[in-house]
Amino acid sequence: MSTSDAQPLIQMQGVNKFFGSFQALKNINLEVRKGERIVVCGPSGSGKSTMIRCINRLEDHNDGHIIIDGKELTDQVKDINAVRREVGMVFQSFNLFPHMTIVKNLMLAQQLVRKIPKAEARETAMHYLKRVKIPEQAEKYPIALSGGQQQRVAIARALCMKPEIMLFDEPTSALDPEMINEVLEVMVDLAKEGMTMICVTHEMGFARSVADRIIFMDEGEIVEEAAPAQFFDNPKSERTKKFLSQILSH
Amino acid sequence: MDVLSGWWDDYFWGAVVVGQVFICSLGLMIIFGLFGAMAKLSNNRVAQKIAGAYTVIFRGTPEILVILLLYFGSAITLTAIAQIFSPEIKFVDVPPFWAGTIAISIIVGSYATETFRGAFLGVNPGSIEAARALGMSDLQTFIYVRIPEMWRLALPPFGNHMLSLIKDTALISIIGLNETMFVAKQAITVTGKPFTMYIVVGAIYLGFSTIITLAVMGIEKFGERTTVGAK
Amino acid sequence: MSFDLNLIAESLPMMLMGIGITFKLLIISGFLGLTLAIFLLLMRISGRWYLSFPAQVYIYVFRGTPILVQIFIIYYGLPQFETVRDSIFWPILREPMGCAILALTLNTGAYVSEILRGGVLGVSKGILEAGSALGMSVRQKFIYLTAPIAARLALPAYSNDVISLLKSTALASTITIADMTGIARTIVADTYAPYEIFISLAIVYMIFTFGIQKLFGVIERYLGRYTQREG
Ligand SMILES: Nc1ncnc2c1ncn2[C@@H]1O[C@H](COP(=O)(O)OP(=O)(O)OP(=O)(O)O)[C@@H](O)[C@H]1O
Ligand SMILES: [Mg+2]
Repeated sequence: MSTSDAQPLIQMQGVNKFFGSFQALKNINLEVRKGERIVVCGPSGSGKSTMIRCINRLEDHNDGHIIIDGKELTDQVKDINAVRREVGMVFQSFNLFPHMTIVKNLMLAQQLVRKIPKAEARETAMHYLKRVKIPEQAEKYPIALSGGQQQRVAIARALCMKPEIMLFDEPTSALDPEMINEVLEVMVDLAKEGMTMICVTHEMGFARSVADRIIFMDEGEIVEEAAPAQFFDNPKSERTKKFLSQILSH
Repeated sequence: MDVLSGWWDDYFWGAVVVGQVFICSLGLMIIFGLFGAMAKLSNNRVAQKIAGAYTVIFRGTPEILVILLLYFGSAITLTAIAQIFSPEIKFVDVPPFWAGTIAISIIVGSYATETFRGAFLGVNPGSIEAARALGMSDLQTFIYVRIPEMWRLALPPFGNHMLSLIKDTALISIIGLNETMFVAKQAITVTGKPFTMYIVVGAIYLGFSTIITLAVMGIEKFGERTTVGAK
Repeated sequence: MSFDLNLIAESLPMMLMGIGITFKLLIISGFLGLTLAIFLLLMRISGRWYLSFPAQVYIYVFRGTPILVQIFIIYYGLPQFETVRDSIFWPILREPMGCAILALTLNTGAYVSEILRGGVLGVSKGILEAGSALGMSVRQKFIYLTAPIAARLALPAYSNDVISLLKSTALASTITIADMTGIARTIVADTYAPYEIFISLAIVYMIFTFGIQKLFGVIERYLGRYTQREG
């Protein structure tokens, strides 16, 4: 652990992001300390994905500063991959490597990026497959797995890199309802172990029970930032109220 | 470029022949392709088999063999037929223009068969049903719904078929068609500059290919505009 | 006019003596063409205009002109220049076989690189993003993710191009090479029996085409085992 507890693991200061002339992020300020669990929600197109994709530089920001574990993300960052190694990411559409077996999916980046010998990489892979409760699928190809299983593999794949931070971008919204819980359970376990997490999700039950803070975004801005109890029971902004009434009504 | 002076008009007329072959073979290719597609889609077992054999044969046989066979074969056959009527005829000359044009349109028509068939099957049955539900007649449905949608699906591969046709015209020089390759050969015997002469041929074909490519792109754009407008 | 089976029985073995040359042309130019195609592909996707632009021009020219013209430019055209005749490549370019292989390689390289590019464009963005998020470098992503997935996606189109290449090898006969088609043309010139000779040879080519299709079917199933839910 290279950070002192005093320094936030993630700092975003005055971040703006444009797609052409369209401003997707407006003056984002966010600090996440080690072990914190943040849930991000907001209407479609509000910039949630864009924000967390900036954190591992899948998108580059236009203004402001993003500092991950003491390293600022700039154009000059020689080794963006060193930062990405610290930051695991789970996507809505799983994005497993379709041409590799499950265990190979988990081993590839360990071997290539962390230069871990094959045997050890396999051991780590099997360890995390057990943690997401599907070690028996190790030799299958992704297509043979259900959506929920694939997403658990994707989480295990990210964990194999021993990241400091995990980002989740709507990990359950492509799943059939009966599979959502198996993925949420894995995420709850992770939270309990003290993983620093930022989750974009509309699973409000998960948010209420796991999040330290909930961030509500709309039109590229952070509109409200509060602990779950306050966020759900006593939201300050009208926009938050409107959003909550829509999302909780069904 | 001095060596080329005096040959430009020959190349020009050679290019005109290329254009003529292209136009004629395009028409025939569409006919072969449509018949092939109709046969494949028909309920007639025999027609299906024949069309299937047609596509397999001409996709697996070198173009030059088809051209040679059609040219020499038809000469022999026509001579034999002519001799029945007037035995003193020694030999019937088949024009390379038509032997070649028919040969390349049969070949490319076998590919067009699959294109047309695919386009016909690719039309979304939902839009046909929707048209019926709106009270359009069969004919109206065919003209306003099926044809435009088929056209959209078939156009990109159809553009490739046109490019195949134009390039295949060069092969007809093998049986003596006086197109640009043939002009180059004559020019070489006089000037002794084979590279220069064949490069000109290449440039002419590249020009034809460019025109076809741009035309297809233009039609695609036009089609997009009309379909967007229709929505 | 009759179909002379004895003639076929006599001449088929003669034509099959050209099989070695046909295969030599197919395999050598197929292999070299694939290598060239990969280079062209890397140039095109390099994101640097001074690499991608020349590759695009190359592909455009070689796809926009007939292969026969390319063969003639190389075989008849290049010796026009003294520098070519004095160069170290002269031993290759002096031989019809060397010229045919060169022309077929340059031609198929252009087509195959477009096919490969189609495969690369078909690799989903999300998969590459997952690679990035795991810290993989651009190079690692290309080697371990893009290349294998694109290869599988490009395989069906590639097998069609190999069949086209087989058919194009027959054009080697136009520059005096005695491949199967070259031998057949000599026999027809002697016997004047185009039907027997050309049809039986066409069947031989069709059998090879069928073989190539089957071979690629096997490769496709092997490389594509991850696309099937069973097995
Ligand atoms: N690559 C891009 N190019 C142009 N515009 C983009 C791009 N990516 C996102 N946007 C735009 O930026 C805005 C924010 O997108 P983003 O994906 O971050 O929203 P989101 O909050 O994650 O929405 P959702 O809930 O639908 O996932 C949207 O208006 C979107 O259209
Ligand atoms: Mg999103």
